[in-house]
Amino acid sequence: MHVNEGPRDCWRKNPLLAWREIEGETVIIAPDESVMHELNDTGSFIWRHLDGRHTAAQIAGLLAAEYDVSAETALRDTEALVADLAQRKLLVRAGMAEGEGGQW
Amino acid sequence: MRDAGIQTHESLSLTIGRVPVQLRFPCPELREAALGRYAAFADAREGGEAKGVLPIRLESTPRPPGASAGFRYAHEGAQVWLEGATAHFSGVRSEYTLDSLLRILLSWLLPPLEGFLLHAATVMRSGRAYVFPGRSGAGKSTLASLSPTGSVLTDEISLLRREGDAWRAYGTPFWGEFRSAGSNCSAPVQGIFSLVKAEGNSVRALAPREALRAILPCVLFFSSEAQARKRLLDLLAGAVAEISCYELRFRRDASFWDVLPAAASPVSRRGRAEAQEARCT
Repeated sequence: MHVNEGPRDCWRKNPLLAWREIEGETVIIAPDESVMHELNDTGSFIWRHLDGRHTAAQIAGLLAAEYDVSAETALRDTEALVADLAQRKLLVRAGMAEGEGGQW
Repeated sequence: MRDAGIQTHESLSLTIGRVPVQLRFPCPELREAALGRYAAFADAREGGEAKGVLPIRLESTPRPPGASAGFRYAHEGAQVWLEGATAHFSGVRSEYTLDSLLRILLSWLLPPLEGFLLHAATVMRSGRAYVFPGRSGAGKSTLASLSPTGSVLTDEISLLRREGDAWRAYGTPFWGEFRSAGSNCSAPVQGIFSLVKAEGNSVRALAPREALRAILPCVLFFSSEAQARKRLLDLLAGAVAEISCYELRFRRDASFWDVLPAAASPVSRRGRAEAQEARCT
């Protein structure tokens, strides 16, 4: 874990949404809308690890180990995706009560 | 046991997509209006309670604040809620409101029965159901008007159910601009054809994820409950994997039928020939 990272730096999937993998990629339906969000292969890898226990940096480490990508690129891509998902309310901060939300 | 005060002539039993319900009216006038709209879906049974039939009570007052309900939804001043084994509607002043609340209730009841409602026209041809989803203005009613008399199950809301390992489309009494009484027929699904208006006709097979993206905005669903949403997504993912799905670009004449896959030897995505037949009630 990076210096200054704590449990609140971990994100988990919004428990109100529905998601599943189809053809190896992830589709997500957010609460209160019928819009489908889609994640590609690496996005799906990151999504699987957004379990409230891994930080973005830890997930980036796993991503770099799994795919042919540098640690820097993996961290940049992971943080960008987490920020985007959080902005779309598809993620909530770990330890946060349901409905409390959270800003990236 | 019958409900006190509910007379036989004030109830109306319907079966829509194999979901039996019994509407219980506070006055005969509304029943008459409903019967006019739903005649093709009315059952012979009247009054009393039958096993497996969901009673729907039309109430004169809204649901009390704070009262527990399994499902509830408010729509333009009207309400629908489920309490135990009884559904309640309030604020129903016309058959049109009743129509809206019935759609909302069915959208809740169907997924556990492996079914769902879809904004789609459905046309039967050679005993098979061709389902054409699209939002308002996509061409559903146009397409229905270009189809032979008696072949249109609905031009607005289709009901799809998985039966065994095949999918069947049912007509519904929920109609759009086509303005017909509704066709209480069903048929095995030949395919789902997402509509795109165009200058010419062409059809393109969709991968399951593309198909899900195409039909999702057309699915009727009103619950914000996470579990219900997950169950629906699982059901839809199964549907687009098991039903052949296409994008249909069509022009405004009946020639679009020429590009649709023929119903001569229907085979599902699972590669199994389907031996089911069309049925009308």
